Amino acid sequence: MSKYYLFQDTKKCIGCHTCTIQCKSHKNLPVGPRISQIIAVGPKFVGGLPRASYVFMPCFHCEDPWCVAACPTGAMQKRAKDGIVFIDFDLCVGCKACITSCPWGAPQWNPETGKAVKCDYCMDRVDQGLKPACVTVCTTHCLDFGKVEDTTRIRRERHAQAVAALDQNA
Amino acid sequence: MPAKTCSVTRTVTELKHTIDAGRLQNPRSRRIAEEILQLLNDIAWGRAGDRHIPAIASLADELAYDEADAAAMETAAYLHDAVDHNREVFVSHIKTHNCSTGDCVKLAPAPCQMTCPAGLDIPTYVTLIGMGRDAEAIDVIRRDCPFPWVCGLVCTRPCEFMCVRARIDTPISIKFLKGFAAERAMSEGSYRNPEKAPDKGQKVCVIGAGPGGMSAAYYLILKGYGVRVIEQHPTAGGMLLLGIPRYRLPREIIDREVAMLTDLGVEFRFNTRFGQDATLADLKGEGFDAFFFAIGAHQAFKLGIPGEEGCPQVLEAIAFLRRVALGDRTVPGKTVVVIGGGNVAIDAARTCLRLGCREVTLAYRRARTEMPADREEVEQAEEEGIRFAFLTIPIEVAKNNGGIDGLRCLRAELVKMEGQDRKYPKPIEGSEFLLAADVVISAIGQKVDNTCMTEVNGLDWTRRNTIQVNTATMETSRAGVFAAGDAVTGPATVIEAIGGGKRAAESIDRYLSGIPQPSMPRVPVRRGRIDWLEVPASTKMTLKRPDMPLLNLDRRRTTFQQVELGYPENAVREEARRCLRCDICLRCGKCVEICRDKMGVNALQMGYFDFDHPVKTDFRITAERCIACGACAANCPTGAMRMEDRGHERVLSLCGTILNRQKLLTCEDCGAVLGPARYIEFVRKRTKTVARAAGARALCDACSRHASAKITTDNLPSQSK
Repeated sequence: MSKYYLFQDTKKCIGCHTCTIQCKSHKNLPVGPRISQIIAVGPKFVGGLPRASYVFMPCFHCEDPWCVAACPTGAMQKRAKDGIVFIDFDLCVGCKACITSCPWGAPQWNPETGKAVKCDYCMDRVDQGLKPACVTVCTTHCLDFGKVEDTTRIRRERHAQAVAALDQNA
Repeated sequence: MPAKTCSVTRTVTELKHTIDAGRLQNPRSRRIAEEILQLLNDIAWGRAGDRHIPAIASLADELAYDEADAAAMETAAYLHDAVDHNREVFVSHIKTHNCSTGDCVKLAPAPCQMTCPAGLDIPTYVTLIGMGRDAEAIDVIRRDCPFPWVCGLVCTRPCEFMCVRARIDTPISIKFLKGFAAERAMSEGSYRNPEKAPDKGQKVCVIGAGPGGMSAAYYLILKGYGVRVIEQHPTAGGMLLLGIPRYRLPREIIDREVAMLTDLGVEFRFNTRFGQDATLADLKGEGFDAFFFAIGAHQAFKLGIPGEEGCPQVLEAIAFLRRVALGDRTVPGKTVVVIGGGNVAIDAARTCLRLGCREVTLAYRRARTEMPADREEVEQAEEEGIRFAFLTIPIEVAKNNGGIDGLRCLRAELVKMEGQDRKYPKPIEGSEFLLAADVVISAIGQKVDNTCMTEVNGLDWTRRNTIQVNTATMETSRAGVFAAGDAVTGPATVIEAIGGGKRAAESIDRYLSGIPQPSMPRVPVRRGRIDWLEVPASTKMTLKRPDMPLLNLDRRRTTFQQVELGYPENAVREEARRCLRCDICLRCGKCVEICRDKMGVNALQMGYFDFDHPVKTDFRITAERCIACGACAANCPTGAMRMEDRGHERVLSLCGTILNRQKLLTCEDCGAVLGPARYIEFVRKRTKTVARAAGARALCDACSRHASAKITTDNLPSQSK
């Protein structure tokens, strides 16, 4: 994994897709590729009520990325200093091996350039000390970006609260 | 003068760089710049119209609206400058759909078209012939050459010498395909004249009814001018008729194609010699506004050896051929020596044989490989029994009382001369011998007979005694007087004369309409952008250029019947399928490089692309090795390499040559296409070290994303109840 973590608080997310739009705009993508996208699961009935969940899926920046292994030209790379998986467009020839190999569908096809494109956590912004484009516009502030150890805290705290509440009721 | 880099490409690159570098900060400026870029790209891709250049200029004005925006002002000034200085190049791109430098990749013209002196759009008409659309092919050809049938039989076919297919096996038989289409269209009655433009009320006089003069006449009358052609001989054709013997070009073919011109209203005045029966002053008095001289080169060079002058047994080939063409079939002698190594020499020799000469020898001072004559012509002459005396230099006509004994000659050896490509035949001292003959025919070249031109003052002549013209416009030193054909080039080819005539017609039109003349030579026009013929790789490789069926030898020795009998129809259609469509694929080699160096697959064996990596071309190898990844197609700048899914197959093709077909696998959930098994195997092999062992379901990326999103939600800690 990269040393960063892009945390999505699914409890807060309303599926407005602003992140997806901002991502496309920042990467200047044509119709087709949505490299960070919200996948709607449901709606299904939970306790008589319709419930939907929205899962934000950019790239997981895997520890051992299959796409990097699959790429025959060395365009798909894992950045040594922080583990971000990105594409060097000068090397990409558009064979789509990364797209085929990724089990999550992270690399996608850009028909305009004839090359693959994927989430790189907005490397250019991160290097300037900024957050990825998607994170900056999230309407409900459900997205957060940072070091792995910091961003998991919310989930841990909420879980603790839930457990504690159960305790009081007992 | 062709520019080294294309000004259109240069402007596109420069503007794109300005935009990409973010120099235009104002969103309005950036939007205008992007619109201009789109228009420029239209020009570079051959889809622009007449209004593109004015539109670019007015958008550039809009861009220069805000003086505070320095970057926009600078860009606007650059664009104005680029368009103004290279207007001709921009207009040429729009009009011809060809970029002479090949920088605008979509418009890189095919080598055959670029080589043709008349700029025929060969890939387009060859493909049309392959489709069986002969009449349309003739229409395409006649936009650049009014005599497809004549050219289909006698053209020297420079196109075939440039044909890229020759790097694989043999060139496409372009000439005969054209001849076939013309013959078929003529016989079906679908060989038609195009519409004439409305009458312009101006008249042009053409002097000489040869291929150059008649081509100019054809294009002028189509443009709406009145045209009169004056010709000193009793019939039209010029050298086509008088120089080329009937066994190569039957008279009916010339007559039928000339009749197309008469049909359009071209007025022919035969037996009218310029300067004698019709003077410049007479013609001016009749109201002719421009003159076009295509008087040819009908005067033979003298051998310049003792005994030649005033000897009735020494004939000039060109006069001899003219005499025979006009119907005189007297046998010149029993034993004939023809001097020369060009097509005229061969024609004279073969004509002698057909008239009944017993022994015909062709004496040439260099060797066989140096002969300027067509190889086929030489071979056919040899088959018919013409003897060749190579490395033979005539030094004297050996006379006896009243007749001649023959030709006294010296043997020669070829020596390399400093600064010359062609070897020089050096006489060997003491090697003198007699070549017995009762008639000697000299065919060592012709020059322009300028005796009729004394009246035309102020005309510049070259050192070679040809008319001096501007080769881009065929203008002479005298306003309103134009010239082309052999009179300008010296003895040359039919197709050069046709090209010259066509160019002259265009500039006569400009002259009479008061439009300035172009300063650059014309770029050949792409007459269509038609789709390719689809051919399986094995067919593309195994089809062979058909042999030309010839008349039997006995008849070839005794009659003037046409020697080359023409291809049967199926051979013509098949031959067209060998064409590599170099008007679409410009052989940049990107596909090969990516497949070999980047992907490591090396499935593309296109040796004909590349002289640095000479592999043997074989389109069939691709199907054995190709994984159908599509990187070649994704990187092809012209769309020649195409990968598409058809039904349950993925098909890779290059200009219609089917290189690979692979069955497609589909997503287990939604049925979306995953790719061919060979491709998936390629990816699986590469990811073997990091990916878990197989067993994973074959899912498309959308379905696998959904599947993993579901796993994520399902595995979340239970929400508060």
